[in-house]
Amino acid sequence: MRMKSIIKFFSSVKLAIGLLIALALASVLGTLIPQGRTVEEYAARYGQLSGFFTRLQLTHLYHSVWYLTLLGFFALNIVVCTLTRLDPKFRRAFHPRVQAEAKNLLVLKIKDRLKKNAPLPEAKAELVKALRGARYRVRESSAAGRAILLARKKIWGIFGSDFVHAGLLVIIAGGIVSGLAGFRTELKLHEGEVQTVPRADFSIRLDKFTTLYYDEDPGLNPEQRQVKSWISAVTVLENGREVRTHNIEVNHPLRYKGSNFYQSSYGFDPAPAATVDLAFELKTFEGGRLEIWAKKKSVPSYLKKLSLKAGERTILDETEGLSIIAIRYLPDFVLGEGNKPETRSAQPNNPAAFIEAYRGEDQIVSGWVFANFPDFTQMHASSSAGGGQPFSVIEAARDPGTWLIWAGCVLIMAGLGLAFYWPTWEIKAVLEEAQSKTELVAGGLATKSREAFTAEFEKLMASLRRPK
Amino acid sequence: MNESTLFTLAFILYILSAFFYLAFLFSKKMGTARTGSLMAWAGLAVHTAALIVRTIESGHAPFTNMYESLSFLSWASVLAFIIIDFKFKVPRIGPYLMLIVVGLVALASSPLMPKAATPLVPALQSYWLWLHVSVTLLGEAFFAVAFITSIMYLATTDPAKKERMDSVSYRCVAVGFPLFTLGGLVFGMVWAYKAWGTFWSWDPKEVWSLITWLVFALYLHTRIVMGWKGKRSAIIALVGFLAALFTYFGVNYLLSGLHSYA
Repeated sequence: MRMKSIIKFFSSVKLAIGLLIALALASVLGTLIPQGRTVEEYAARYGQLSGFFTRLQLTHLYHSVWYLTLLGFFALNIVVCTLTRLDPKFRRAFHPRVQAEAKNLLVLKIKDRLKKNAPLPEAKAELVKALRGARYRVRESSAAGRAILLARKKIWGIFGSDFVHAGLLVIIAGGIVSGLAGFRTELKLHEGEVQTVPRADFSIRLDKFTTLYYDEDPGLNPEQRQVKSWISAVTVLENGREVRTHNIEVNHPLRYKGSNFYQSSYGFDPAPAATVDLAFELKTFEGGRLEIWAKKKSVPSYLKKLSLKAGERTILDETEGLSIIAIRYLPDFVLGEGNKPETRSAQPNNPAAFIEAYRGEDQIVSGWVFANFPDFTQMHASSSAGGGQPFSVIEAARDPGTWLIWAGCVLIMAGLGLAFYWPTWEIKAVLEEAQSKTELVAGGLATKSREAFTAEFEKLMASLRRPK
Repeated sequence: MNESTLFTLAFILYILSAFFYLAFLFSKKMGTARTGSLMAWAGLAVHTAALIVRTIESGHAPFTNMYESLSFLSWASVLAFIIIDFKFKVPRIGPYLMLIVVGLVALASSPLMPKAATPLVPALQSYWLWLHVSVTLLGEAFFAVAFITSIMYLATTDPAKKERMDSVSYRCVAVGFPLFTLGGLVFGMVWAYKAWGTFWSWDPKEVWSLITWLVFALYLHTRIVMGWKGKRSAIIALVGFLAALFTYFGVNYLLSGLHSYA
């Protein structure tokens, strides 16, 4: 008795509707309160209320006990609803009883009656042929002077909602598997570095990390240039053996033995102090030569005066291996279209030079220096080697629930297709013989696409009326 | 012809279409409605050309910023309307739909929306951009038509008209719901898995598309299982479209999250 009332509770459509509304409202709440922030942030944002929010788990709502309980009830509701309705549906679809009464058919919206000037077997054969011609599957039961036909097509349509519900359950199952058995971690890799992948029997080496820009003009600061791609060239190592190489990019993860590797982030180690210490001033431009003064912020007495041509490398400090190049010189600097530096005139109204400084072959800093605005000069630590060591952050993930998610998606889409676009149509007919003539009563049932069904029904009946 | 000329031409044709449909509303002459429909067709053709030109010029799918996606949404709405009108012969929804389309196109053309085609950030460089956005917006366009028919259901007192609007609303949801499920949720999950490494991360846009989905699931259950029709169905469809609209528009401006592109 108790079991029965539990089943009754979970099979109710009213519960399903209540749960749909509750889940929707709870989900809205979760988008209004930022999720997963720090205690301090909630305290600053909501003051007194923040303790209340934390207690109700509104700060990680989608993983809260009560939200997951709602989802659990939703899953149970789907299971019970689907199972209690499945058995009668199966019987209806595959072992239907061929029963009908003429008077019951005549109260249907889609119906017809006619008299055939032929004995019963002949009239029945004609109707069966017409129905089969329209791709109906016909079942019949006959008695003396009487026959009943049950003709149906696209019977799988009645299972559409069951497919969708099964798909949802499979997705929920996939979510549970992901939550319990899924694993993800971030690997911070420098070029040449090897790391063992957690929970896997192989390791991964970053061979090279490259940032590609849409605009390769070196006269632009890295912040002004738009990134086209971050590429981590990696090699998979098994027992020290190279087994696979791959360029990991956003949208192009590496898959290997059930693990996936994603380009997640990148960065530079803090640069050695000396490299960011350099400062430059543009002094004069005469006879095709630039005069540039190099200073060190940490050593006030340090001053080197250099005279160089644009594009020419000049030694700055032999012992430290430092050199500089003035890549471009613009006499009248202005930011033109697309924030690109260009010169407005040949007059030295705003002389500027783009300077790159190197240690050995490694670029360490670069930037524009302005003769008129020495304070405006900003040198940027270069993204290439020599400044800080670049590193790439690669997310390693194992998620055994994923295939359930995709299977669930396929079931849902198949179910929606069946439910909306594979309508089950049913025609029942009662034929009775009287004085070697046959009286035929037919009725049609369709839950969807009733207009199209009505047209087909009428066409079938019209074909029977036509004398042969 | 360049994209902005074609876009402006489409805009003019949509305005003409809205004008003729409005005239039809008062004159009740079928000929006027046919002219309106013709203008909508012509506008759609020119708009299609504008989208193609933009795709060729920018080298990527024409829905990567708010201007582009508004343009595509208005294109999809006209397409959805033309399909529904072709199938169910409901020119009466023309004036309202075309007014909304004119509004969307005006918003897209406003100085608020930067028009420049910018190169794609790494996260958007995927063929899933095409599949995810186009199918989702097409689904939402059908919700928009259902929204209009639902309002018309609530506004009219003529029982025959009411029944017609109720049935057309349902047919729109029957097209929009599978499209939205496929494009918004399924393709969205597949792409998220490929780009971010996780199929679902409770990002506000994801949650709001789930909310939209739940509302239309509610629409279908109350209607098919409990036999709700008419007024209550119309109200749920209204709420569903507003949720879809918030997913599309509101989330970007009011909530922050991963979907910060458009």
